[in-house]
Amino acid sequence: MELSHRTITQIGHYRDMDLTGTAPDTLLKLYFQMLRLRRTEEALHQEYHPADEMRCPIHFCIGQEAIPAALSLHVRPDDFIFSHHRSHGYYFAKGSPLRELFAEIYGKATGASGGKAGSQDISHSDTNFYSGAILAGAVSIAVGAAFGFKHKRTKQVSISGFGEGCTDEGAFWEAMNYAGKQKLPVLFVCENNRYATFSDQLKRQADDNVSARVRPFGVRATQIFGNDTVLAHRTIGAEIERLRNGDGPALIEAYTYRWNSHVGPEDDSANAYRQPGEMEFWKANCPIVLLGEKLRAAGLLTDALSARYEAEVAAEVAANFKFAKESPFPTDTHWRQMNYADASPLADRLLGVATRGAGFDQYQDEAKLGPY
Amino acid sequence: MSRQLSYAKAILEATDQAMGLSPDVIVLGQLVDTQSGIFGTTTGLVKKYGPERVQDFPVSENLMTATAMGAALTGLRPVLCHQRLDFMVYSLDAIVNWLGLWRFKSNMKSAMPVTIRTIVGKGWGQGPQHSKNLQAWFAHIPGIQVAVPATAYDAKGLMLEAILGETPTIFVEGRGLYSMTDEVPEQPYRVRFGQAVVRREGKDATVVAIGLMVPLALRAAALLDKEGISIEVVDPRTLSPLDRKTICDSAFKTRRLVVADGTWHSFGAAGEIVTSVVENLGDKLKSKPVRVTLPDSHTPMSSALEPKYYPDENDIVAAVRQTLK
Repeated sequence: MELSHRTITQIGHYRDMDLTGTAPDTLLKLYFQMLRLRRTEEALHQEYHPADEMRCPIHFCIGQEAIPAALSLHVRPDDFIFSHHRSHGYYFAKGSPLRELFAEIYGKATGASGGKAGSQDISHSDTNFYSGAILAGAVSIAVGAAFGFKHKRTKQVSISGFGEGCTDEGAFWEAMNYAGKQKLPVLFVCENNRYATFSDQLKRQADDNVSARVRPFGVRATQIFGNDTVLAHRTIGAEIERLRNGDGPALIEAYTYRWNSHVGPEDDSANAYRQPGEMEFWKANCPIVLLGEKLRAAGLLTDALSARYEAEVAAEVAANFKFAKESPFPTDTHWRQMNYADASPLADRLLGVATRGAGFDQYQDEAKLGPY
Repeated sequence: MSRQLSYAKAILEATDQAMGLSPDVIVLGQLVDTQSGIFGTTTGLVKKYGPERVQDFPVSENLMTATAMGAALTGLRPVLCHQRLDFMVYSLDAIVNWLGLWRFKSNMKSAMPVTIRTIVGKGWGQGPQHSKNLQAWFAHIPGIQVAVPATAYDAKGLMLEAILGETPTIFVEGRGLYSMTDEVPEQPYRVRFGQAVVRREGKDATVVAIGLMVPLALRAAALLDKEGISIEVVDPRTLSPLDRKTICDSAFKTRRLVVADGTWHSFGAAGEIVTSVVENLGDKLKSKPVRVTLPDSHTPMSSALEPKYYPDENDIVAAVRQTLK
């Protein structure tokens, strides 16, 4: 069945989650991962105002925990993830250190990007996580990484996370064309949450079905109910396995919903962009609640275990805030060095060491010219 | 007997040698794997290194640049070729929003050693969509180096430096320079960025000439020499970083300044160079600096208008005379 935001609320309460074939400890991990991400985002959301110590735009992903949790159990350390501006879920999925996310948002030197990028531009190159706010640009770079993996014949996979808004951009379709033609090991994960800021996809495109449109480019595409974490885990796992075996590319279109405003904790409901009953439907089908119900029914999740998870996550969040708040602000103002590499080790090795140009040295030392 | 090589052959030799030195160097671009090979600058590479290292690319300029960037993150060192700079404009998102700031926003932990070659057409009716030189746009962006080689020697040395270095580089090549020859050593060598060169020493006026204007400035120097006027010709070789020291030292020596830049008049490299000199020694100049540039107009196709549009050595001679008045 093809999914569409036009009709998805007719599902009512989602009852198709199937635990068959997924190991109990995996199910519990999925639940725990979602809880971690939810509580992290809730805490950041809560703390944002009036403290005003996180001085950057944050695009919260509350309600969209299923995909990051599912991804987090499949990606390997040497896989790459490229995310859009709603980055926290993907950062989390890559296993990048959360305390460095907190510190980054606080603009601290200990942040993942040294406080230079913030929430929407954060990267953590040690764990191969990258993001950026200009939508399809990141999708395109993910295709480039996949090109590199194929060229080097590694089994690595490049994962590109984005929303349906990104598919308005021409760069996205250049990426589909080339990935499909070259059969690149890239997994496109489209979290279709219907709205690009306040704009309904159906205001911008003839249909809200991205999958149907990428297939003619040679991109295998699967639609899923994006709040079914178990289905997401199964689908992502199967696709990543195929990609590692050279059978790429693939797109997973996960229909889901953003509970918060487009950006920040401020209420944006005055723009009246959501459909009636929509929020209620999606909150009733919260990915954590859906999985929690199933786990309780299966006897896997108890009140005691749930309390233990909550305590563990609360402690982690508190520790992350503490680290961020106690970390120093950056003081470095060597602007040129921040933007240009000083060293050229490969050229030194292959071509021999050569002295720098006068212009370069002059700039570097910030020396005055002359005297004239 | 010195070894003479054309500008085009020097680019080919640099790419070939870089590919030989490092298996990570790859070449991407429309028709790079053909016999004609981007005006002879990639000819034969596919035969020598195979189709995986020398790849044709769809007419998707933005994706091509982004592909090179992603590939660079996996350890490759891509060299991109745009047959005309005008097409490269489609890749501005990749360059301006991602490539230029990658190092910065990764807090200096991640590098994208990507070399982007782009060719500026001139003459034979190239017209307004095959002749634009947007070098100043690129030089304006932090995090990107811009090379504007005027000789075969510099083309080779700067190309090797860019491909095997760590900073993303845009290489602006004048199509009109391709057949010009120069002494080029066979072994690989580097020309460092940010190091201008004095092409001809003189005492009466300094002419800073960029790219295609360098040979014209040297012709102007020869013409003026016959009248006993001695001009110093400075070639910056790279616009980013810009060697302001060599330029200012020369202007201080001659006390007169002409900047010859074959791009539009307003908001360009010529303006930046004049400003740099005036900021540092404006009160020492004996006359007002003069720019020799294109008019602020798009390029006409007609062979009747092209000579009126493009400045030549006589325009440089006239500009020097103006500073000597």
